[in-house]
Amino acid sequence: MSTDIRRRRAPLEPFTVVSIIGVSLFMLISIAPLWLILSGSFTAESKLSETGYSLFPHPFSLDAYRTILAGPTVVDAYIASGFITIVGTALALACTSGLAWVIARRLPMISRPLAVLTYLPMLFTGGLVPLYLLVTQYLHLANSWFAVILPLLVAPFLVFIQVGAFRQLPESVLESARIDGASELRIFWRIGLPLSKPILAVVGLFYAVNFWNEWFTALLFISDIDKFPLPLLLQNLIANVSASTMLPTSGQAVPVYQLRLALTVVTIGPILLAYPFAQRYFVKGITLGATKG
Amino acid sequence: MTEIGTAAAERSVSSTPPAAAPAPAKPERTRRPAGRVQSSLGVSLLAVPALLYLIVFHYLPMAGLVVAFKEFDISQGIFGSPWSGLDNFRYFFSSGDAGRILLNTIFLNVLFLAATLAAGVTLALMLNEIRGRFFKRIAQSAVFFPYFVSPIVISIILQVLLAGVGGSGGLVNDALLGLGLPQVSWYTEPGPWPWILTFVKVWQLGGYMSVIFLAAITSIPEEVYEAGAIDGASRAQLAWRVTLPMLRPTAAILLVLGVGRIFYGDFGTIYAIVGDNGTLFPSTDVIDTYVFRSLRQLGDFGTTAAVGLFQSVVGFVLVTIAVLIQRRYSKENSIL
Repeated sequence: MSTDIRRRRAPLEPFTVVSIIGVSLFMLISIAPLWLILSGSFTAESKLSETGYSLFPHPFSLDAYRTILAGPTVVDAYIASGFITIVGTALALACTSGLAWVIARRLPMISRPLAVLTYLPMLFTGGLVPLYLLVTQYLHLANSWFAVILPLLVAPFLVFIQVGAFRQLPESVLESARIDGASELRIFWRIGLPLSKPILAVVGLFYAVNFWNEWFTALLFISDIDKFPLPLLLQNLIANVSASTMLPTSGQAVPVYQLRLALTVVTIGPILLAYPFAQRYFVKGITLGATKG
Repeated sequence: MTEIGTAAAERSVSSTPPAAAPAPAKPERTRRPAGRVQSSLGVSLLAVPALLYLIVFHYLPMAGLVVAFKEFDISQGIFGSPWSGLDNFRYFFSSGDAGRILLNTIFLNVLFLAATLAAGVTLALMLNEIRGRFFKRIAQSAVFFPYFVSPIVISIILQVLLAGVGGSGGLVNDALLGLGLPQVSWYTEPGPWPWILTFVKVWQLGGYMSVIFLAAITSIPEEVYEAGAIDGASRAQLAWRVTLPMLRPTAAILLVLGVGRIFYGDFGTIYAIVGDNGTLFPSTDVIDTYVFRSLRQLGDFGTTAAVGLFQSVVGFVLVTIAVLIQRRYSKENSIL
């Protein structure tokens, strides 16, 4: 489209060359740390405990991964993260799309106040203490995975991306459904949602990444090691090396440094695997958010 | 449900016959009032879960802020604890920590905001120069990826780069050694940390910002570039004199959003990286990490709530001012 003239111009100009170099450099910086982690996770502890890093997995070793697979701790953490991500994303999508639909309908006396109620927490929050007291003293959710999920359930930014998308649905289609006698709820369920699948995917992916990476609420509310989600387990492993003793040792010494790196790989693994397929949705999401602005 | 159904049926009978797709606008308007109330109540049920959630998790805690004015005792609960006036605030502001953490919060956020915006714009301008479709797509994917990396993982990466084993090792120190420069014990040296954290933020958000700016670039009309090209402008001149000024509204919005958050420290990133490493506090401790520590380690609910309230109020004032200023300067791009 509008890039035509930018393409058509003569051979390489200096600025283009600079750009290619600049972009390549930025790419390298973005990706290189991941290689360091991956390579280190396959390097023997003897080398790591000397240098702290390794550019190539040599001497090659699978000790850390063996340790991870040997006991229940990491598997438990995977289950915890999986639960938080799947249940959290499902609940978040349900709440977000319902709320967004009602706001998008522009109902008199309802939509506008709801929008304000959704927006306001972005500007003014109760802060940490009231939330902490609410979750631990009143809802008694300490050590429950729901304590990690609930504080993040509705992201105003994502609600407004959805509102924008719902408002772009062709009014004529909704109207004809009304004429055919479909109830508003049925229209939402049978027409609104199916027609908005792409945007639901965008919003769902954003929620999923948030939940997968979330550790602050876990840090606050989860203290049982067997309920730790992955990022919290990893954080504990950084904060104190002795935490690695909670992992099964099968006799010999735990490869502490290698283990950290292997656990990091395990933590970003799913995101890394899903990324090539999901990336265009993310780009679409923030592009939408930006143009809605 | 059935009520709504019949109401809708009545409506369709009383109105013009179902005109399907190209429904004319006028008859639709006149038809609205009948059954509108029931149907809007019915559809509003969809918002009930989210509404309940917002009330419980966002609005009730606001009421809980009264803890800031109390001498909180967990056995007596929020509302049973005795009042203490402004004692909690006085305690915080006279503790000697206040000045440092407020300054750190603002200084770090200004650094982060300036650096990520600059990196985002630069990267977008450069990505826009790339002609190979495939390379461009790969590049965009690569630079956007760090946005999805958890701060904990970043913390591990930093340790690999800066700490190695026992504090003075790691890739960077080995590189310094190779260049004949003195090594640095990074984790005991607070001085460079604002810059290290800024670098981390650029790594995290540079690609993300560039995607936003690139979206804005593609909406710039073609004719502007044609005119520039006809006048013999080089690609660098087009980028500098055409694209860059056209990105101003987008940058303004991001700037306002950033300024509005300037009083909120980046807890996730900073705590994941610095943790409880006290030697780095002089340059990295911000409101949010301070609040978290005083809650977790000291169990000081009153002071912590007071700091939180102070933060929210100042933050709210700053957002309002930022939005008002932005509105004044660009009416058409206002964000609220």
